[in-house]
Amino acid sequence: MIKVNNLSKKYGSFTALHSINLEIGNGEFIAVLGPSGCGKTTLLKLLAGFMGPTEGTIAMDGTVLASTKRVLPPEKRNIGMVFQSFALWPHMTVGEHVKFPLSYHPNKIKEGKRELQNRIDDVLKLVGLNALAERYPSELSGGQKQRVALARAIAPLPNLLLMDEPLSALDVELRMEMRKEIQKLHRETKASIVFVTHDQGEALAIADKIVVMNQGRIEQIAPPEILYTRPETEFVATFVGKCNLVQGQWQNGRFVPAIDPKNVWPDLGVANTFKESGIYPVRPEQFLLMPAESDGLQGIVSFVQYQGHEIHYTIEVGEETWTIHESVFASRFNIGDFVSISLKAPTIHWEET
Amino acid sequence: MTVKQPMVEERKKRDSSFSLFFQNKNLYKVIGLLAVFAFFLLPVLRLVWLSFVDDGSLTLQYYTEVLREPATWKTVQNTLIIVAGSTILALVLGVLFSWIVAYVQLSGKRTMQLFIFLPFIIPSYITTLAWTQFFSASGPVTAVLSFLPGSLEAPNLYSIGGIILLLGISHYPLVYLFTVNVFRKIPRELEEAAATSGLSKKRAFRKVVLPLALPGIASGGLIAFLSNLDNFGIPAFLGTPANIRVLSTYIYEQVVGFGPSAFSRAAVLSVILGIIALLGTVLQWFLLRRSRVNETNRSDSTPRIYLSAGKQKLLEASLWIFLLVTSLMPLITMGALSLISAYGVPFNLENLSLRNYEYVFLTDSKPISALTNSLQLAFFTMLVCLVLGTAMAYLRFKYPDWSTKAAELFMTIPFALPGTVFALCMIFMWLEPVPGWNPGIYGTVWILFIAYATRFLVLQVRGSYTAFLQIDPSMEEAARTSGAAGWVKWRRILLPLLFPGILSGALLVFLMALTELTVSSLLWSSGSETIGVVIFGYEQAGYSTYSTAFSTVLVLGILLSGGLFMLLGKLWDRKVLKNK
Repeated sequence: MIKVNNLSKKYGSFTALHSINLEIGNGEFIAVLGPSGCGKTTLLKLLAGFMGPTEGTIAMDGTVLASTKRVLPPEKRNIGMVFQSFALWPHMTVGEHVKFPLSYHPNKIKEGKRELQNRIDDVLKLVGLNALAERYPSELSGGQKQRVALARAIAPLPNLLLMDEPLSALDVELRMEMRKEIQKLHRETKASIVFVTHDQGEALAIADKIVVMNQGRIEQIAPPEILYTRPETEFVATFVGKCNLVQGQWQNGRFVPAIDPKNVWPDLGVANTFKESGIYPVRPEQFLLMPAESDGLQGIVSFVQYQGHEIHYTIEVGEETWTIHESVFASRFNIGDFVSISLKAPTIHWEET
Repeated sequence: MTVKQPMVEERKKRDSSFSLFFQNKNLYKVIGLLAVFAFFLLPVLRLVWLSFVDDGSLTLQYYTEVLREPATWKTVQNTLIIVAGSTILALVLGVLFSWIVAYVQLSGKRTMQLFIFLPFIIPSYITTLAWTQFFSASGPVTAVLSFLPGSLEAPNLYSIGGIILLLGISHYPLVYLFTVNVFRKIPRELEEAAATSGLSKKRAFRKVVLPLALPGIASGGLIAFLSNLDNFGIPAFLGTPANIRVLSTYIYEQVVGFGPSAFSRAAVLSVILGIIALLGTVLQWFLLRRSRVNETNRSDSTPRIYLSAGKQKLLEASLWIFLLVTSLMPLITMGALSLISAYGVPFNLENLSLRNYEYVFLTDSKPISALTNSLQLAFFTMLVCLVLGTAMAYLRFKYPDWSTKAAELFMTIPFALPGTVFALCMIFMWLEPVPGWNPGIYGTVWILFIAYATRFLVLQVRGSYTAFLQIDPSMEEAARTSGAAGWVKWRRILLPLLFPGILSGALLVFLMALTELTVSSLLWSSGSETIGVVIFGYEQAGYSTYSTAFSTVLVLGILLSGGLFMLLGKLWDRKVLKNK
């Protein structure tokens, strides 16, 4: 179990992290999600031990790894790390990459040569590289390099596996494949994983729990589905769910949009912070588009983008601009069309009661 | 008991050397900076101080004395003419070559680059020697001219023009080095944007390419300017026989003249030389005031201008002729003329002999002892610079704050100073490191060693720093998260990756120290002669045939070690780094 307590990091007058508190359970897979410059890489470097905190502590299983007084260097921590650029050593073969931490890591193999070789073979088999043990990095494809980086990180069975945007250097299809690979490794090694990413799709797909960060602060910590359907801050609502923030008033647990008070929307699990500020976060796919004569808010289509599986509409509603995603099987609209907008299915059900 | 145990553990961890380092970081910083200051900046300050002091009291006496003499002004005038002329020549040649190599489709660019760098790795006094042979009465130029109608004579190299020519040819590789990548980094889209905006190729060159290349051209120009100002070998070999003095040779004459006020007068002249160097730096800053360098652009080596086959051949041919004539021919001439038995006799079979070599390496004992001295000095200088310079580069890379930047700046000063000035600084500093205490360093080989190490350290710092910049920081981070620290991290990961970059820095230091002349000419003492000093001595005594024989052996040695180094680099790349 890793406990991050009140952790701050300042670079001169710039504060990269503002008193972060975080707990990572044994075997938990946590994704740290945020835009560039949100402090997620700083958090990762502090967890790894490449630098020390300005305030606060990091503890692993009860022992303090880092405080303002003392920082345990990375080589003495029970961790493994996968880097964005793979960070493979050009002068070592695949086998040597796996052997390296097995010889120097705090969890190194202390038994004989045979145990060492067995462990190398096991790890290579696990990532599907047993046939390539003699190859050098320059002779590997992008996906294979990624597997070597993973193999090196998991070989000594570290308590904590840190991953710094490990998939961002791969192309889209390979990324999807490697997501599964990482999930498989997580299942088999049972290490705690902290996976840093700016790709919300990746975070939602892969993690048990997501930590959303913005400007050096944690915005929300929640499992993927809760995070997506019940965002607690404006940032989470727009960054993760691409929500439209509809202005209006909350009255007796119902929402009245400011643009057209004739409409009333039910509460589908909106966080209190939004109720206090008079906002209803609506995800693009939560809206239903109908021809203008139907009930609902009236708007006009300003952009139409065909996406294959969906159509993305941009709609001007009063002073606001909303993004709405509709299925390709729904009725289509063109630029300039007047449309009627309402919340999807549950709306009707709730209004009847 | 059970409670006490973790407390002891806790205290032990807190007292580890690691945390101690962090607590005393500022202390180490101050100690390090003071040491760097003492070795690199203090000597210069003591030189300036000495120019104002006479018998312990402040005075402007030496300044008024030196500035009142017409010889001083004649020397300053010569210096300015020669430096201006040779800088312009180096700039024109350097920019022309770098533009052609960066822009135009040519075959054999790699070999061409090697030839461009040839005058750079061969010490300029040997180049000068080779050229004087090239233009001498028994050289090929006179032979060719005698076939032509009219009574044409080979130009006299012992003149201001000759000095300018040789300085220009020796230093244009520096300009080339600074500008070729600047040209390659100009995004080709910018030129295409200029073309689609209706600019002709010529106007696009003037309005787009030139302004973007200006920072590189200006820094190349500055380096050429400082090198021309600093150069001692060429004006000493060509100017002294013709009574043409520049500041660097004039300072030398003052010091070896051993007058009662020789050192003080030399200090004053050094300050004047320093001021001229400073003015050049200010001029460069003024030129670059408004330009912004975009370092993130990628270097693009594919040619942008394609010539018709015929024109391309013609251009290649003329470039090759220039390169061969300026770099290889003089050396070959020197090699050939070193075989003739006496100076001035015609070059034919009867006059060929190995007598000069016999004298240099068997009869006279000085060349062999100089060779041993220089090799030892160069080797130990390289070793010290290798360790200290790489350590400094690592600190500079790892902690890029004001203290490491200041330390690097201090280390640059001895290299940026004109050699004669720097040699004086060394004398003043190490004659009495602490006033009143003479440890007897001056007058032994130790002063040469200290001077070389101080002067060339920055080359290793830069070389190693570049090597550090080229490896991704995550390489080291990956080693640490894999549990490797300290020596293991260096041995297994960093050194194999850094080796080629560090080695090229070390080789440069070795070559520079091996063939150094300017500083050695003022610091040598009997028994500690260096290669440069011996060749200079032969030349001053008029034994040109001996100096050419010795130089020929040196050139062969340098070319051989250069070739060996390139081969080693390639092998390392293929065998260790597995680059295909």
